[in-house]
Amino acid sequence: MLFLKKYMLPRVLQFLTVVFVGITLVFIVIRMLPVDPVKQIINTFAMFGATIDPASTELLIQTLREMFGLEGTIFEQYFAFWGRLFRGDFGPSLFLFPVPVIDLIVTALPWTAGLLLLTTFISWLFGTIMGGLAGYFHKSLWAKFLDRVVMVLRPIPFYVFALVMLIIFAYLIPLFPLGGGIAVGTPITFSWRFIVDVIRHAALPALSMGILGSAVWFQTMRLIVQSVTSEDFVVYAKAGGLKKNTIAFKYVIRNAILPQITALGLSLGQIFSGALITEIVFAYPGIGSLLNAAIINGDYNVIMAITTLSIVTISTLILIVDLIYPLFDPQVRFK
Amino acid sequence: MKMLKDLLRDGKFKFGFIVLVILVTLSLLSFVSPYDITIWNVGIRDRPPSWDNLLGTNSRGQDVFWEMTFAIRNSLTIAVFAAFFSRIVAVIIGLIAGYSGGKIDKLLMSINDSVLVLPLLPILILVSSLMRGRLDVLSLGLMLGFFGWAWDARVIRSQILKLREKGFTYTAIISGSSTLKLVAKEYLPHVTPLVFATIMNNMSWAVGMEVTLALLGLSDFEMSTLGTMLHWAISYQSMLLGIWWWILTPVTVSIFLFVGLYLLSVSISEYLDPRTRIQRIGTVRQSN
Amino acid sequence: MQKRMVGVLVVVALLIGIAAGGLFFLPRDQEPIVEEPVGEEPVGEEPVVQEPEEEEPVAVGEDALPGGVPRNETLIAGILSGKIMTPDDFNVWTVTWKHVDRGIQQLMLEPLWIVDYVTGEVINALASEPPIYNEDFTQMTVKMRDEMFWSDGVQITADDLVFTIETIMQNPALGGHGWSNAFVERVYAQDPLTVVFELKEPNTRFHSHFVDRWGATRPMPKHIFEQAEDPALFPFNPPVSSGPFTLHSHDPGGYWVLWERREDWERTPTGELFGMPAPRYVLFRHHGPPEMRVLSQGRHMLDMADMSMEALRASLMGNPYTRTFRDEFPWTVNVDPAITGIMFNTARPPFDQKEVRWALTLAIDIVDFIAIGFDGAAVMGAMHLPPTPVYQEWYYEPMEDWKKEFTIQVGGEQFHPYDPEAPMRMAEHSRLRGFAVPEDPQEIRDMFGIGWWKHAPDVATTLLEEQGFEKIRGRWHLPDGTPWVLTLLTGVNPIGIGERNAFAAAQQWERFGIDVNIMASPMEGTMVDMGEFEVNEGWPAIEPWGGHHDLYRTFNTWHSQFMRPIGETNPGHDGRWSDPRMDAIVERLEVIGWDDPETFELGMEGLKVAIEEMPSIPTVAFPGMIVWDEHYWTNFPGAENPYTQPYHHWPNFKYMLPFLEPTGR
Repeated sequence: MLFLKKYMLPRVLQFLTVVFVGITLVFIVIRMLPVDPVKQIINTFAMFGATIDPASTELLIQTLREMFGLEGTIFEQYFAFWGRLFRGDFGPSLFLFPVPVIDLIVTALPWTAGLLLLTTFISWLFGTIMGGLAGYFHKSLWAKFLDRVVMVLRPIPFYVFALVMLIIFAYLIPLFPLGGGIAVGTPITFSWRFIVDVIRHAALPALSMGILGSAVWFQTMRLIVQSVTSEDFVVYAKAGGLKKNTIAFKYVIRNAILPQITALGLSLGQIFSGALITEIVFAYPGIGSLLNAAIINGDYNVIMAITTLSIVTISTLILIVDLIYPLFDPQVRFK
Repeated sequence: MKMLKDLLRDGKFKFGFIVLVILVTLSLLSFVSPYDITIWNVGIRDRPPSWDNLLGTNSRGQDVFWEMTFAIRNSLTIAVFAAFFSRIVAVIIGLIAGYSGGKIDKLLMSINDSVLVLPLLPILILVSSLMRGRLDVLSLGLMLGFFGWAWDARVIRSQILKLREKGFTYTAIISGSSTLKLVAKEYLPHVTPLVFATIMNNMSWAVGMEVTLALLGLSDFEMSTLGTMLHWAISYQSMLLGIWWWILTPVTVSIFLFVGLYLLSVSISEYLDPRTRIQRIGTVRQSN
Repeated sequence: MQKRMVGVLVVVALLIGIAAGGLFFLPRDQEPIVEEPVGEEPVGEEPVVQEPEEEEPVAVGEDALPGGVPRNETLIAGILSGKIMTPDDFNVWTVTWKHVDRGIQQLMLEPLWIVDYVTGEVINALASEPPIYNEDFTQMTVKMRDEMFWSDGVQITADDLVFTIETIMQNPALGGHGWSNAFVERVYAQDPLTVVFELKEPNTRFHSHFVDRWGATRPMPKHIFEQAEDPALFPFNPPVSSGPFTLHSHDPGGYWVLWERREDWERTPTGELFGMPAPRYVLFRHHGPPEMRVLSQGRHMLDMADMSMEALRASLMGNPYTRTFRDEFPWTVNVDPAITGIMFNTARPPFDQKEVRWALTLAIDIVDFIAIGFDGAAVMGAMHLPPTPVYQEWYYEPMEDWKKEFTIQVGGEQFHPYDPEAPMRMAEHSRLRGFAVPEDPQEIRDMFGIGWWKHAPDVATTLLEEQGFEKIRGRWHLPDGTPWVLTLLTGVNPIGIGERNAFAAAQQWERFGIDVNIMASPMEGTMVDMGEFEVNEGWPAIEPWGGHHDLYRTFNTWHSQFMRPIGETNPGHDGRWSDPRMDAIVERLEVIGWDDPETFELGMEGLKVAIEEMPSIPTVAFPGMIVWDEHYWTNFPGAENPYTQPYHHWPNFKYMLPFLEPTGR
């Protein structure tokens, strides 16, 4: 009980504060955007030569302003936003009025979530394990070679890397489809055919993101493990004759894994920003382009909805990590 | 100077140092560039590397070599600004939070985490849009710096927390040192390796972010950076049209820049950490 | 240390190797374009043209269409507007953008009337004749075409049109709510095929809301929408078509839509007027950025594509079956009904003075401009009207004499700014670059345009100096003595047509001695609307109908009643220019029908006023960059065979389909 009070409660309070402050920050920032969602709608039509004549334009602007509920002071809008939020209503989107925001998110999110969740986990796992091994055996040749390869791979701009992967593995050697989420005409049922098709289309984007992603995890894990391995207590353990495996698992990894897990939590939360460049290059569906379009068009509702979800998710993940922390780190437990 | 000599014994540091010196020299060359980088068609478009144009010309009719010097200069400047600004903030916040504990700690960490949980790319896009295209090198650096301190502040803070528990803190308090002296004398040396390691990391991150933002079209056209150079090259289909010198230049430079920074950071932090310094003596003698 | 260095270098070399391998994937059959810097002695180089290698069609395995959809009976076209944000929603009557160009306007829906800007006609689609107005234009009658059916078997009647208007009038979230309530007093069906609109006030162009020019108010199926609770929220999925294709399937991720030809295609305007669409299936697909489209076309998985200028070249290089609208240089579409150029904010000094605007016009060398901005592949247009073949016939040619005689007052003298030889200079420039350019003046004018304004920097200098500007040490200074720094606002797309105009103009003006600062902003649309800019690359004039000679659509946006001060949103043309002469012309146009022959004279008068005042600089017609892959389909409406407009994203696309021919592969 004491543990609950002293450890959990302040963390939960902090969680709530962080969520609240984060959402407010975003709210303020996007209201500062000089983009007028109403004018953007008119601009979109003009862009394609379907200009609306000036008289109609004026009428349209008035109508849209009323419908969008952009009247009232910023405080009124702020409270209205929270009110709607607690009722679970994100409101209608602006640049796609009157389609509700939640519909747009539900359409786009599964693709991103699927792709990124899988990619993040796999690259995290792969990178951390390889990084851990490379860090522990940091004197060996293969570890040094791997480190060098990763070091050069990591800074390659993702757009370029993705494009090269596409050209090589989808065009020159047609192993993978040339972009897209599913093949044309595939029925959207949960049939085996559908699942295989989704995986085939997600494979190349996942691979590209995965390779570059693992590079990052590899490097950080390797550094941490390397430094922990040289810490005093490990040296003493070795001197004391403890088996290598025991040292590895009980001491080194436990200490090294914690920052990695926290970083993983953060990274999972970034899912909501979507993988914008992936979506662009691979023509893969997802929430990144939705968010990007929303920003360009000044669609407050969509932006608020996605960032709110993002903030809540990340904070929750960090909270969970924080709560598991004591299981790993005895020092914290005794505090 | 002695420190530099010591550092140079390490192969990693040597390589990184040389790479960075070359890059800085290249960027300084931009000040004596015979070309005005905002003028198009000073040369024939899309020419491969030759003695006239060391790295060929791009689709705007400009010399790629000199374009590169400007790009390196601007990217480095952005990275330095970003890293500098964010280090200062991270160290201050980390130190205060770690040492004070209690309410101040909670408050600072709440603010810290609020920034941490903001979805990075959309907010960057939002803020870039806010600036209405007047994103010059300084403001871009500042903006990136603003997003760079949160994670590292936490790391510094946890390091401080560990140090607090260690013996010498109590010794110092008992022996009557003032708080400021304590912080400066006892903590900073332990925190410095961390700060250095993170500087390089942060610079790499800043350049990476700048490239991403440029590829999304949010950077100033006329400002030549590694990112905008890439963006132009890709938009003008340099890959498919075979103008490989235009696209490979920023990619290769980026790779060398990151590798250089990484090696520098790793070797500096190894050097500053007393334990690993001893280990180094053994390895350094052998690797040369 | 050496080991480490070697290690890094090996890996970098590997990467470069891989990347280079990727880069050289396309067999080259043209040498890279040789460009001389303007002003130097031209070097005559022979272009080396290698024979294109016959490429075996690459296996289309994993990109295959579903079973039962044979590739050689499918036409694949690109979606211009990109990824569809609302893939499951086919209700395009809402006020917001729902990606009508994913096949909805091109295949699914028929309008009452539609313009074709290549043939210069207004086609009666779902209407059987042009709109019938009464004497004082307070009543409009529409006669619907008989024997037209929705794809679910219900006949299209006057009730559908009446229902559409009534629904729009009641629902603010539907497009057209504003004007329909402002003008329509009453709408009713006189008989099953006749609709009568009674208008609140005289409106000679009320029918224009129904004329499809890349968008219009089209009839919606009453029997479907009347069952919807909220017509604005109704997703209309699966949709029913008035056009010759129905929905087969679509991508929930928003990247493709597959359409299938209706069995009863002859019961649509397309079928009755033009015949059976040749492809049985049409796939609209967004492949991604231009490089992806080039790759897809290389695999023969994209028949009709929009490209960027560079992607166009890349696609031509690698694929022996591809062709552009114009088979040879300059490749681009020259019939697009939009004129591009530079827009001044005439509410902001010094751009409120026409002398300054003219000076900036004369400071531009159009040949160099087109070379820098468009690599030579664009048609110049001297007037605020796109130089399409029909407009050349209706306006450009008849006004040629006037343009040659037109003068502006410079330094007490009259100066003739028009240069009919500009296309010849352009032709010469292109010849020096190695392109085959004909000698025949008429052909040259077809390729490059019929004239532009002279490059006369000394005249421009005089004009500016008369206004108090001073050139000190080669840089221009404003009358108040400060250096002139001109800010050019652009969007953020380096390959956009507007942006290209901006870069080219900036280069010209810099050379002239003005400090130009290019400001690229994603907020461009809003800033321009609010008037917070000096110079912008927006269209110098709003596009006209294209298929009709009436210029009301263009001129109306310049009427002073629509101009707002800086800081307020502007419903009219964002250059904020107006002129009492133009107002008078617009007001006169408003009271005469659009077919009235007087509209020709008024059109010319208006164009003359625009030239005199030069509120914006028209430079080139929008260079449409489309590439056709003739591996599976041929007989596209190219420049040598312009039986209809060439774009796949225009609603006229369905009228092109009956004329396409399968190649038999």
